[in-house]
Amino acid sequence: MVERRIQEDFARELTQAVGEGFSLRWETDSKGVVTGWCRLDEHNQITNVALIVSKLGGRVITISAYKAKNAQQEAVHEIAYHFDLDGCTCTVTIEIPANGCKVNSITPILKSADWAERELQELYDIKLLGHPNPKRLFLDRNIDEGIMDKLIPLSVAMNGATTKTLWEKIFAGTSKEVNS
Amino acid sequence: MSTYTVPVGPLHVALEEPMYFQVQVEGETIVALDITAGHVHRGMELLAMKRNFYQNITLTERVCSLCSNSHPCTYCMALEKIAGIQVPERGEYLRVIADEIKRIGSNLFNAGILAHIIGFDSLFMHAMEIREIVQDIKETIYGNRMNLAINCIGGVRYDLSDEKIKYITKQLENLKKSLDELYGIYTKNKFVRARTEGVGVLPKEAAIQYGVVGPVARGSGIDYDVRKKSPYAAYDRLKFDVPVENGCDVRARVIVRLREIFEAIKIIEQCLKELPDGSICIDYLPEIPAGEAVAKSEAPRGELIYYLRTNGTDTPERLKWRVPTYVNWEALHVMMPGNKVSDIPLIVNSIDPCISCTER
Repeated sequence: MVERRIQEDFARELTQAVGEGFSLRWETDSKGVVTGWCRLDEHNQITNVALIVSKLGGRVITISAYKAKNAQQEAVHEIAYHFDLDGCTCTVTIEIPANGCKVNSITPILKSADWAERELQELYDIKLLGHPNPKRLFLDRNIDEGIMDKLIPLSVAMNGATTKTLWEKIFAGTSKEVNS
Repeated sequence: MSTYTVPVGPLHVALEEPMYFQVQVEGETIVALDITAGHVHRGMELLAMKRNFYQNITLTERVCSLCSNSHPCTYCMALEKIAGIQVPERGEYLRVIADEIKRIGSNLFNAGILAHIIGFDSLFMHAMEIREIVQDIKETIYGNRMNLAINCIGGVRYDLSDEKIKYITKQLENLKKSLDELYGIYTKNKFVRARTEGVGVLPKEAAIQYGVVGPVARGSGIDYDVRKKSPYAAYDRLKFDVPVENGCDVRARVIVRLREIFEAIKIIEQCLKELPDGSICIDYLPEIPAGEAVAKSEAPRGELIYYLRTNGTDTPERLKWRVPTYVNWEALHVMMPGNKVSDIPLIVNSIDPCISCTER
């Protein structure tokens, strides 16, 4: 009963915030677990969704970015925000252009989005607007952002830490010290 | 008083895996910290998109070892949702048994490390010795002490004979006897209490704000367990309690983990008793159509989620997973300040960190 109310609350609040600019459906599996799938027409509306989730006491489970094609077959990025609403997972998807893409950060509203947003920024080169701590999460600063768009050899990704590159660096550094 | 920055890690005697903390201290008291991750980032999500659905069962089992069964199990659940596959009832019960055996091993490991960190090494060895009972079950039933390799799309790859059921039941009886004593030491021993009580406090409000999961959340009074909130496998048919503690400190987290072991034993015993007849897996090789799904489970460290997108080929268009530790790291910013430098490893251990999981 509680789950049902939270779904209705979510749908009502979303309609109030964005009008008709979204699609939303709920699925119930054989165990009675409800999963929500929502798509926003306008990506900036994700801020309103975050405010609604916060108001309903929800949290961000994670955020999945991926490459896709829009209706015109143009390359785009889609970002799927997976929210928890008292046990019900609601995935809200937005679409942003592939080049020079920017998206509003929801971390100021939902702290639980912090690391997930930083990770999608470095993996897909999606710029976050208003993130309180937008620094790299996992990848070294020497690696370009957007590594999920191209192949990075492991030896480069690990800064040569497991190959002879490491020893070449160490020997190069040592010889400089000796020479100086 | 002067403020200093103390580097801890990335390689540190009390950390099982590499993580780098820059801890600001005033005297011996922590005032703030900065976390730098990425030392074991392997790009596994990209790798998963280059492998077919079957190869990814093997890949996901290698995300980490302590919760290695939760990964392929949850991944298979996502595939089964997209393909509309109903796992046979016996297969669901067998999945639960494997998951709960792994939970006992994982929670005992964390409790043991806590004892080691506070210098109570005889307790550490005691906990690890008891854990061997569970390791023996894994080795005997699955042929391996860590990666069980039991999951497949539509069910499991192992079955339990009457003889094996008797063996597990006997081992669980041995475990229960030893656990009672162990639980008593963790909850009553004055040295353990002195080092864990009031240390690394995460108030309930902060736990909600940071969105922490698993025993970290339940140790801060949040009654949330995926097995109850979003039941999967056979959990909707099993009776068990969700241990919740309100201490919000290191002690509360370890008590939750220890109490969960008793619940896990209860769950396994029910499964063994009520194990339905029938097949353990679907009897065909399924085709996975285009679609998307989320699947969630309660891994030993908390909520694990897999998001899968497929496009009709035999490889995922996107496979994303978020492990429980991932969301628990930031809560260290609340747990650490006000504590002593000597408590850093203890507090870090209290979130039961899995770094190979976090970074993938």
